Amino acid sequence: MLGPGTRAGILAEMADGETTRGETAPTEEAAAGALAYLTEMSPDLRGGAILGADGAVLAASGDADRWREDVATLFAVADRASEQPVEQVHVGTEQGEVFAIRQEGMAAAVVTDRFALASLLFFDMRSILRELAAGGDGVGGADAA
Amino acid sequence: MPPKPHRVLLDRVSGYADEAAAYMRRRRLARRPFARLYYTGGRASDHAADSVAGGELFVAAGRLIEVAGKRPKA
Repeated sequence: MLGPGTRAGILAEMADGETTRGETAPTEEAAAGALAYLTEMSPDLRGGAILGADGAVLAASGDADRWREDVATLFAVADRASEQPVEQVHVGTEQGEVFAIRQEGMAAAVVTDRFALASLLFFDMRSILRELAAGGDGVGGADAA
Repeated sequence: MPPKPHRVLLDRVSGYADEAAAYMRRRRLARRPFARLYYTGGRASDHAADSVAGGELFVAAGRLIEVAGKRPKA
């Protein structure tokens, strides 16, 4: 059971309420391709992770366990700041910037250098999650771009 | 009596330098560390580093920055 009090539940409690779409769950291969595509599109990006509805890491650069744990912690902390579940998190520090988003029953988080273009990055992350949730490979718009 | 031409040039250069310095000062101030949360419906909230939520967000973000590591040089 993915209750709000559990680690996995933190990710499952999506802000947009669209946790079930009747689509097939995204594969790790598709998520890895989507993350690679995002990395290629964003020159400032240092690393990132895409997580499924159950909180499991579908793709990550580096230590997947650390990403799972730290992304869950970030959303847990963000959710505590308000009664409403958070949809996007943007934290800028001297060492870099963190972007995290929950959408379509999934979550994604990336770390970039400072002064990354926030709206563009959030747009790309949102597009990738939407594409993955629909059963695509996360780079559906690549040909059109 | 009109100013000497080199005076005009110097004044203009120092004027641009002042503008650039002011721009950099404003940019530094505007880009201090921040934590911003966005909610469904477009609501957003800022959390200062010295607030409880802000402090926790900076710690959590710091851990993610640590796990991401440095960007490999091309």
